[in-house]
Amino acid sequence: MTEPSLPPPQGKPADLPPPQGQPADLPPPQGQPYDLPPPPDAPPPPAPAAVPVGEQWRQLDPRMLFLGPARTLLSLAVPMLVAVFGFGQGGGSQMAVRFAGLFATLAVLFGLIPWFTTRYRVTSGQLQVRRGLLNRTVLTAPLDRVRSVDLEAGVLHRVLGLAKVRIGTGVDDTRIELDSLGRDAAAELRRYLLRRIEQTVTRPAAAGVGPEATGPAEEAGEGTELARIDWSWLRYAPFSLSSLAVVAGVGGVGSQVLGDVDVDETVVQDAWGWLTAQAVPLLVLAAVLLVLLAWVVVSTLNYVLQWWRLRLVREPGGTLRLTRGLLTTRSTTVEETRVRGARVVEPLLLRLVHGAELFTLATGVGSGGTTRVLPPCPWTVTRDVGHTVLRSDRALSVPLVRHGPRARTRQVIQTLDGAVLVTAALAVATWFLDWPWPVVPAGAAVALLLSVGVGLLAYRNLGHELTEDHLIAGSGALNRSRTVLERGGIIGWVVRQTFFQRRRGLATLVATTAAGPEQVEIRDLPLPQAVALADAATPGLLDEWLLPAGDGAGRGRHRS
Amino acid sequence: MTETAETTGARDHGLRLREPAHRVSPRAVPYWTVQALIVHTIVLAVASTVYFTLLPERWWWTTVIYGLLALQALVDVLVKPRVRYAVHRWEVTPTAVVARRGWLTREQRIAPLSRVQTVDSLRGALMRMFDLASITVTTASAAGPVSIDCVDSATAERVVAELTEITGRDEGDAT
Repeated sequence: MTEPSLPPPQGKPADLPPPQGQPADLPPPQGQPYDLPPPPDAPPPPAPAAVPVGEQWRQLDPRMLFLGPARTLLSLAVPMLVAVFGFGQGGGSQMAVRFAGLFATLAVLFGLIPWFTTRYRVTSGQLQVRRGLLNRTVLTAPLDRVRSVDLEAGVLHRVLGLAKVRIGTGVDDTRIELDSLGRDAAAELRRYLLRRIEQTVTRPAAAGVGPEATGPAEEAGEGTELARIDWSWLRYAPFSLSSLAVVAGVGGVGSQVLGDVDVDETVVQDAWGWLTAQAVPLLVLAAVLLVLLAWVVVSTLNYVLQWWRLRLVREPGGTLRLTRGLLTTRSTTVEETRVRGARVVEPLLLRLVHGAELFTLATGVGSGGTTRVLPPCPWTVTRDVGHTVLRSDRALSVPLVRHGPRARTRQVIQTLDGAVLVTAALAVATWFLDWPWPVVPAGAAVALLLSVGVGLLAYRNLGHELTEDHLIAGSGALNRSRTVLERGGIIGWVVRQTFFQRRRGLATLVATTAAGPEQVEIRDLPLPQAVALADAATPGLLDEWLLPAGDGAGRGRHRS
Repeated sequence: MTETAETTGARDHGLRLREPAHRVSPRAVPYWTVQALIVHTIVLAVASTVYFTLLPERWWWTTVIYGLLALQALVDVLVKPRVRYAVHRWEVTPTAVVARRGWLTREQRIAPLSRVQTVDSLRGALMRMFDLASITVTTASAAGPVSIDCVDSATAERVVAELTEITGRDEGDAT
């Protein structure tokens, strides 16, 4: 911000003098900044040559001069084509070509901007990234606040040997992005930043399990492998609805394409009439089969694309590293002490085939601190990997404590509103569409049965438990999930009671945390049990707040 | 009695949380009342204009909606401020800051002082007329800010100074 303005860097700068003690307002380095020798006055940590330590500002990889314009061109391709063809049909093909040329030039220029305006450096314990042409901003992150480093490379990046670096700090949503560095430089930066973690943070013994397998010669980032893709898991792909978004996208594009095809409508109508007369059931059956087949193919493909060469590794130095992807490769590295918990989710379909998905909850990692670490795979695998990550031997397998009959009643009553809605909708439809009246009670009965079933299911999945190191919460009706939070990661409590919960003496206990979704909710727990659980999970914190029931415990009817 | 809780552990039944010691300022009741009056005067003015002059015909369901709006205004102005005053309580101990709030849904929030990140106080224009201030204490979790609504400004200043002093001493916010 306060930096004197740079001279426009697009000239042909002379070769750089040795970078030592260079003020920041000299022309930026050109060529291959990563091959420069390390500045002689680099700070103590042993930095390999490629690490940008020192006063000197570094640039993104020069290959971005190609990638940036290519990307903007690609993203503008559709509107450009439309414009060109639009003009072409209007007769002004000369105009069209000129416009296309103008577009392309602009795109190239815009694509070049990031390379010229972005600088970064690691100096005096900080990572600094400077951006902007007119409004210059400097992002500064103290190295000891670095929590995670992600490397991501799309197809274009990989062809060119580049990788996008995202650095997560303790403060959520402010991930610092460097798009992009050379693959080696990125890897080197990642290693350097995470080695700094090891040096600067005096790590509390995480969850008390003994020292990890730190191979002496494993400097290069090898470590204990916790999980690796097993292609027999592919059988779970069709049972996970996470590919649904992809299908919706494809469907949208497809319908647009089809919508543009000119079809003689009378032909369609004739054909339709004939078909309806002939073989409606057959047609429906075929359509269903086709959709199912398409679903299996798409979901399997998506699974392969996403999880190709999945590896979850515990690296020496206390970091967890996840790598995956066929076309776009991703690598997420997070400091292990920042992983405060895990979540196992079992959607209904996946549960039918005993599958599950595993997430970790951490601070300073993208998308809400929740990272998906395993694809849909056998529940036993998620359990074992989850236990290794959590350094626990039972957090994901202990049976949960149920919340009792009052909680059950409440779960069932809460799901009734769906049935009420369905009944109301049916009643309205019957009124206006002259349906036979028995539709209403029949529909209501079915809806009622279904919602009671869902309510009971929700009750069965509801529960909690406390182990030596973890607080465990179970929830969900159709999507069962179990959230495990390290007790040391709890930074506060909320005891919430709605009007109806108060009448039943129930409460929702929320453990607040900095990791993942920032809260873990245990719903519909009898109030005394909620208080006791909170007290046991964070011993001492609630000491001065506890009251035994009995002396005028209010209107709550605590029977047990 | 606290010892019983410690010795019997998580399965002990019959526990509950003590009420925080302090009520908010009594001037909070007129403040909330005036606030609700302002909002509902505007809402009801708009609703009345529509109901009495703009509608071509007074269908029964518009009457129901109008009635509900009026009822809500009555509840918000006459009942809600008093219930909130009865429910809202707060306390700062040497180890934690605790606040209870709400009227139909009630919440008691507890944040250990060692985890506190920021302490904010807020005085809106209307609040200044009543010499009130609100305090919000945040931790590293977006889910757990502890807000103390409408204490009188002198108390607020004292509490903020105290909290800032205590939290400045601690390191680490468990992020």
